[in-house]
Amino acid sequence: MSNKHILIIDDDPDQRLTVRLPLEAAGYQVSEAKSSAEGLEAVKKVNPDLIILDVMMDTATAGFQTALALRNPDPASDYKEFKNTPIIMLTAIHTTTPLRFAPDRDYLPVEDFLEKPVDPELLLAKIKEHLG
Amino acid sequence: MAVPNPSGNSAAPVLSKGKASTHRDIVEAELIASVAWLINLRWVAGIGVIVASWAVREVFRLSAPTGVLAAIGTGILSYNLIFFLLEKHYRKILASAASYTRMTMWQTALDWGAMTLLIRYSGGIESPAILFFIFHIIIVSIFFPRKTAYIFSVMAVLLVSGTALLEYFNFLPHIAVDGYLVTSLYRNGWFVTGMLFFFSSTGVISAYLVSTIHERLGRREQEIMELSVSLRRATERLQALNEGARTVSSTLELQQVLDRLVKSTAEVMGVRACSIRLLDASGRMLERMAVYGLSQAYLNKGPVDTETNPLACETLSGKVVNIPDVPESNLLQYPEEARAEGIQSMLSAPLCGKSGTLGIIRAYAIERARFTEEDEIFFTAIAAQGSIAIENALAYQAIAELEAMKSQFIRTVTHELRSPVSVSRSLLRTIEAGYAGGLNTQQSDILSRASRRLEFLQSLIDDLLDMAASKALSKSPKSKEAVDLPAALDEVIKRYQIPALEKEIHLEWRNYAQESWVQILATPDGIDRIFNNLISNAVKYTPNGGTVVVELSRLDSEAQVIVTDTGIGIPEASIHHLFEEFYRAPNAKEFEQEGTGLGLVIVKDLVTHFGGRIVVHSKENEGTRFTVFLPCLE
Repeated sequence: MSNKHILIIDDDPDQRLTVRLPLEAAGYQVSEAKSSAEGLEAVKKVNPDLIILDVMMDTATAGFQTALALRNPDPASDYKEFKNTPIIMLTAIHTTTPLRFAPDRDYLPVEDFLEKPVDPELLLAKIKEHLG
Repeated sequence: MAVPNPSGNSAAPVLSKGKASTHRDIVEAELIASVAWLINLRWVAGIGVIVASWAVREVFRLSAPTGVLAAIGTGILSYNLIFFLLEKHYRKILASAASYTRMTMWQTALDWGAMTLLIRYSGGIESPAILFFIFHIIIVSIFFPRKTAYIFSVMAVLLVSGTALLEYFNFLPHIAVDGYLVTSLYRNGWFVTGMLFFFSSTGVISAYLVSTIHERLGRREQEIMELSVSLRRATERLQALNEGARTVSSTLELQQVLDRLVKSTAEVMGVRACSIRLLDASGRMLERMAVYGLSQAYLNKGPVDTETNPLACETLSGKVVNIPDVPESNLLQYPEEARAEGIQSMLSAPLCGKSGTLGIIRAYAIERARFTEEDEIFFTAIAAQGSIAIENALAYQAIAELEAMKSQFIRTVTHELRSPVSVSRSLLRTIEAGYAGGLNTQQSDILSRASRRLEFLQSLIDDLLDMAASKALSKSPKSKEAVDLPAALDEVIKRYQIPALEKEIHLEWRNYAQESWVQILATPDGIDRIFNNLISNAVKYTPNGGTVVVELSRLDSEAQVIVTDTGIGIPEASIHHLFEEFYRAPNAKEFEQEGTGLGLVIVKDLVTHFGGRIVVHSKENEGTRFTVFLPCLE
């Protein structure tokens, strides 16, 4: 399993660290990107097996836009080869805000949602599930 | 709208014409009815003459030219038949009042002729039929204006006098009714003079009296008519105002309110155009906010500065300004543009709200001196009503902006405050789980204490956010929906099955309302939050091995949810403080270190917002029962 590569896209270095440590401990190869733009570049460069994506970065919805860019059904899309790369979204959005998230094929084309703070065991279990 | 007149300006002439024309209409209707009445009476008169001529000979055995008299009667019936048919025809073609007046004139003229003949052949000045002329004069004085009545009266006097004098001087043979008078009087100068004097004066005085009384009654009638017309107009305007207000207030969107207000004002006042300008934030410039019926060229005329625009100045001083003659007025800042637009008169009124002057409303007409004093009063009423609607819309706009700001604030707090706490917790968890190397027991204990404090901090932030959200909810017009209460409770109870199991607490769910339809007008989040807080408290403050029961039943129009636990209970002294922000009962603090003291505040806010109420019963060391009543949807 150690040959699997996971990309973390998150603007918070501490958050990246807290995700990175258990992943590395579990033997995954980990790359980091600190913005959507950097993340999209990194996707092409490292060709990850799974992406862990934060919602609020430089903008409140940067994560969603990144996910939508990766899932763009347009055959001419720059990211067409990553269309099926699993994405796990991490969010700090509280239940009282009017925003509601659930994986949705059209609006939120991601595999899973985890609310911060993320339990490392749960995260590993989810990753294992999506990497088959 | 109130006046179904989209073109706007044509209602005005109709309204102002109504004042004068209604009285005339009624007079005309009266004239038409009288014509028919006169024709009916004339049948009787004609037949009466024929019967009388027969009676004179057969009953009274008097010698008179009864053949001629009967012929006169037949003549009357004949011309009456013609008028009868003509009147029917007029009725069918809806002939003008003038035609009717002409017909009445002809009838009177013929009646005068018939009367003269009747008098001539029934004894001339000796004839008792002379008296009949008097009531003819009375009728004429009722139906015709004074002058015409006098002319007819004088004609009657001349006809009778002429007949009498011609007979007196033997220019005409006297035709007597033999046996009626003992002696012949037509040659008696005193008799003739006396008869003529009294007949003439009676005729003329009758005409004068009847005309005067009739005129006086007519004036009174006209006053009443005008009063009833103005009353009707006032009612119409009130209705229009009412309907306008309803339309204007049926929305809270500022632009819609203004658009509806200008349109309905122009329509209700029956004028070409209407505009509203509101003061900008500086309170100096008037911004055009809504307009109806003006061309684009006029709209682009330029800015309106309240300090240099004389009309705006005068209007904002708090009164209605009526400009009857726009081209001559020196109050206008843009007279050329107004002239090009064809605006001849203008009304300008201030829009005054509770908080001060909001702006100006103007009505524009293409007729000179279009606006009366009555219009000024009406326009003031429109402005007053419009101001309320505008102020409501402005308040609504302010609430909506506040709501947006609040949402933005919550989002910011969520990210800025919650994120560091949550990341710190994640970091600690990573260490605790050993991903950053092994820890000794003391280190791991310290870390778990830090973790717990952070967990509490996070729940405090969450509760504060909840409270902000529920407070905002009760002030915001955010729409509620039908929430299925049993399903919502199911969801919450499922969530607490495992925590209850961990504490060996028996968590029981009794739905007594399975047969009924229990839906609440609320927000799904709010309902979830209420019962999540109550059930989580019940589980939290019940010692291991206890019981928590959730019951739902329907009482008439209300749903009743009871959450009972066998927990630590609430001391009597604490019950009154239970719904105060940050309050925690001493035994609760002792039993469970963590708790923000905000959960029940949030619950109460939400229950109240959904139109319900919450009741608490508790005994320390025995348990607590919270009862929530929520109004059900039918």
